[in-house]
Amino acid sequence: MAKMTIGLSTSSIDKLTSVGVILSGAAADDMEVDVFVLVNAAHAFLKDKADTISNMSEDVQTPEEFKASLEKLSTPSWIEFFEMAKEMTEVKIYICSLAGKIAGGEKDEDFIDMVDEICGIGEYIESLQECDVNLFI
Amino acid sequence: MTTEELQALNVDKSVDARGTACPGPLLAAKKAIGEISSGQIMEVLSADEGTKKDIPKWATKKGHEYLGTVEESGYFKIYMKKG
Repeated sequence: MAKMTIGLSTSSIDKLTSVGVILSGAAADDMEVDVFVLVNAAHAFLKDKADTISNMSEDVQTPEEFKASLEKLSTPSWIEFFEMAKEMTEVKIYICSLAGKIAGGEKDEDFIDMVDEICGIGEYIESLQECDVNLFI
Repeated sequence: MTTEELQALNVDKSVDARGTACPGPLLAAKKAIGEISSGQIMEVLSADEGTKKDIPKWATKKGHEYLGTVEESGYFKIYMKKG
C-alpha cells in the first residue's frame, strides 16, 4: 500500500478543503495516509472550534461565499471529506502535542473524534522517512 | 468499443454522479465498484470534466477494464468491467 504523509499547518477552510479533496483522491487510490496537524491547524481540530472555523488563507472570497460555492457544487465540507476518506482507507490524524497546547488542547478528548493520537515530532519524521508522497500544506 | 457497442451493453450497475463536482464521481465509482462482482459492468454518469480522465485512469490502475466513454448532451457515461 503506497503511503502519503501530509504536514497540515493551517486552519484556513480553503486549504482544509483542498486537503480533504487530496485525501479523497488518495482514498480512491487505496493509499494509506498520515496527517500531522501542526501549529495553527490544531485550532480546526478542537472539539469546541471545528464547526466554527471560517478563516480563509486569501481574500479572494469571503468564507460565506466560499461555503456557498461548495454547497452549490454539492461538495462536502472539509470535515465531511476527512470523515469519508477515513471510512474508505487507512487515514490517521495525529495532533502535534505542541500545536495542541498552543491551540488550547492537551488531551485526546479535547479534539474531535476523527483524531487518532497526540504525538511528538519524532513520529512525523518517522512517517516522512517511510512515505512515498510527502505534502506540506 | 464503439459508441453503439457501449450503448448496447447490459449494465449491472449504473451510478449517477451528475450532481457532484470532482472528486464526487470518482468517490461514487470507488464505492459502487465494491458492490458488484468481477466481470460485471458498471457505468458512471458524470458532468464533471475533471473526472472524465480520472475515472478511466483509476479503473485501469485498479485492475478493471475501461471499456469506453459515451458523450451525451451536458454529461458523459463511462463504462468499465470489474476486474
